[in-house]
Amino acid sequence: MARIIVVTSGKGGVGKTTSSAAIGLGLALKGHKVVLIDFDIGLRNLDLIMGCERRVVYDFVNVINGEATLNQALIKDKRVSSLSILPASQTRDKDALNKENVGKVLEELGKTYDYIICDSPAGIEAGAMMALYYADEAIVTTNPEVSSVRDSDRILGMLASRSRRAELNLEPIKEHLLLTRYSPKRVEEGEMLSVEDVEDILSIPLLGVIPESQAVLKASNAGEPVILDTESDAGKAYQDVVDRLLGESIDFRFLHAEKKSIFSRMFGG
Amino acid sequence: MSDANIEFKGSSFTLSVLHLKTSKLADLRIDLAQKIAQAPDFFYLVPVVICIEKLDCSIDYQGIKTLIEEFKFTFVGFTGSIDKEQRSLIRELGFSFVNTARINTSKQLVIADSPVNKRTSDFVSNTQYSDKIHRGQIRSGQQIYAKDQNLVVIGSVSAGAEVIADGNIHVYGALRGRAIAGAKGHHRAQIYCQNLEAELVSINGNYWLSESMEQHWGSPAYIHFTDSELTLSKLI
Repeated sequence: MARIIVVTSGKGGVGKTTSSAAIGLGLALKGHKVVLIDFDIGLRNLDLIMGCERRVVYDFVNVINGEATLNQALIKDKRVSSLSILPASQTRDKDALNKENVGKVLEELGKTYDYIICDSPAGIEAGAMMALYYADEAIVTTNPEVSSVRDSDRILGMLASRSRRAELNLEPIKEHLLLTRYSPKRVEEGEMLSVEDVEDILSIPLLGVIPESQAVLKASNAGEPVILDTESDAGKAYQDVVDRLLGESIDFRFLHAEKKSIFSRMFGG
Repeated sequence: MSDANIEFKGSSFTLSVLHLKTSKLADLRIDLAQKIAQAPDFFYLVPVVICIEKLDCSIDYQGIKTLIEEFKFTFVGFTGSIDKEQRSLIRELGFSFVNTARINTSKQLVIADSPVNKRTSDFVSNTQYSDKIHRGQIRSGQQIYAKDQNLVVIGSVSAGAEVIADGNIHVYGALRGRAIAGAKGHHRAQIYCQNLEAELVSINGNYWLSESMEQHWGSPAYIHFTDSELTLSKLI
């Protein structure tokens, strides 16, 4: 049965779409069948990050309204054949989705795919609720910063009370903490919350820590998910995240500031 | 001269108010009879105040009182927002006019410190509360209310969350949100937690913000009401 994973946060701009794209592609590279769904109706971004914005003909809302079939709307990734993207509509708003039809689409996708990654919009309104409703697992994306942590806490409350699993009294959604834009140097200087601080407040298992990296912006602009940049810290950290999602136990990296040697300083390493 | 044998004190009570929509005694009699037939024991000797706000001028006060007593209520007086003349008329006829204390819940918390409420508090504190147990963390935006109960939280209370109990609050974890104990007016209520980082704590309407709790910040502590003021003590 397909694992439905929602990537959510409450707060905007913390890296939900970047993480969805990287994790989705990472899982597909491991040979799994993955579909990425952009739930951010009206603010279509996932296709840009994935580099398939020019290939969007039909979208999620067209499928919901029966104006297109799933196969017409799904975009196959050019890099990995087992990855598909279901783009959001740019011209509609979040009310265009309804629980019943979203459920049908997910059920249909579940027949073909191993992983359904739902990229949630920010906020706690209808759009975000729709993205998390059917989830089996949630990747709560958080920046090491108080407002982001509080919003994640709020979303965790929603996951536990407003999801399908909560409503039907099933086993609760499996929660994962993904800390993004982490800067060990600033943590050491006391300017940023540490991993331990965030874990203590949210008390959910840590899935990964993505260090703040220039590579992320570069990757977004190029439409190449950062996990493909295997040289970058962020790329490596996302690779670890994918491995942990697949059940491997891997030590956390990039938690401490690197002490640069005199040589790397000289040669700009 | 000693007045040790008697003492006047103000107290609040819950009284039933009977709102009349007509002054026709015959109609009232039918409706009252029907109502009482549903639960005869419930209304027996119950003190009632009669609200005459919705009636026009020609009211048979004595008739209403007699009717009420006929149905075995204990007549207390009249109430309603009416003009001065009508009020004095009621007094001249020998009936008492009762003013409603318009207290909303938030205000109630504030005035809970007054002697009047202290009396009720003493009464409440004798009640044995049962426990409402919540397992798991209470997240930002969530609110848990233990009505007429103590609240036991096995987990932390996040910043932006709110726990309220009419009795005591116990948090087996960090208390980072708001905790309001003795919400209905109960000054012996206490708040216990393993890690005090609360945004606000309140007992019987007396509250503290986080800045007042620096003393035991981040450590196990409990908050109680002693010598008419909130007190913070180390738990272990």
